Amino acid sequence: MPKGQHSPDRQVATKHNALSQFDELTIGASGAEVRRASEWLEAACRQRNVPPALVEQLALCLNEALANVFTHGGGLALAMPIRLLLEVRLDPDCGKASVTVSDAGTAFNPLSIPQREPPRSLDEASPGGLGLVMIRRCADWLDYRHQDGRNHFTFGACWKPR
Amino acid sequence: MSISHEDFGESLRRIVISGRLDVPGTDRVASKLVELAAAPKKGVVVDLTSVKFLASIGIRALIAGAKVVQQRGGKMVLVVDDSSTVIMSLEATGVNELIPVFRNAADAERAALA
Repeated sequence: MPKGQHSPDRQVATKHNALSQFDELTIGASGAEVRRASEWLEAACRQRNVPPALVEQLALCLNEALANVFTHGGGLALAMPIRLLLEVRLDPDCGKASVTVSDAGTAFNPLSIPQREPPRSLDEASPGGLGLVMIRRCADWLDYRHQDGRNHFTFGACWKPR
Repeated sequence: MSISHEDFGESLRRIVISGRLDVPGTDRVASKLVELAAAPKKGVVVDLTSVKFLASIGIRALIAGAKVVQQRGGKMVLVVDDSSTVIMSLEATGVNELIPVFRNAADAERAALA
């Protein structure tokens, strides 16, 4: 898919007979593209009736995941397109929304990083690592795989439909 | 994204940030925040009630500002809008335990000067 193209209408029936709805976006590695990705996510989630509080959690996770790609992914991550996939699925008893960030940077599994203790004072507070802390707190589940030379990092959240 | 400040006498400075403290937004205000926090004031109130989004890069900028204030013996506190996601970001990272957070400006100013 060409860079920036937005594909909102894919629908795939899963093995559980629920209907998953997908949106895709391809972005470059820049701060402006992070902002565009946030706007895309918020609009797509609104269209799929994802609760606003959940959208905010996913938007935070997306911001942090992209910041990690830019910071730690190396030259390839910055040079190659970054693909985003939103999946929203509504089962009778729960709704689920997840975002997969796919980049061509250095293989890195964020789930391999040990959870760290929160700092007890300003003196102890270090500038790094907060993004992963935030992702772990805001997401209900995380997944990582390295396939076809790309990192695929997924974070998701669920809600009870009314 | 904007940052401004107002001084109240010799002791108190209020810094007001608005917009999104995400990657591009924080890039625009981070160095200014540290510069404003470095002024020789006893108390610094950072008003985040007009901030709509606070990512970890923004939290890093707040920590940097709070450290500058603490190093010269002052105190930095935050004011947030309870209905925004900002409080969620502060709580998720535990930073609300390091930098005092208030829901209204009067309480924040009292705490900054205490």
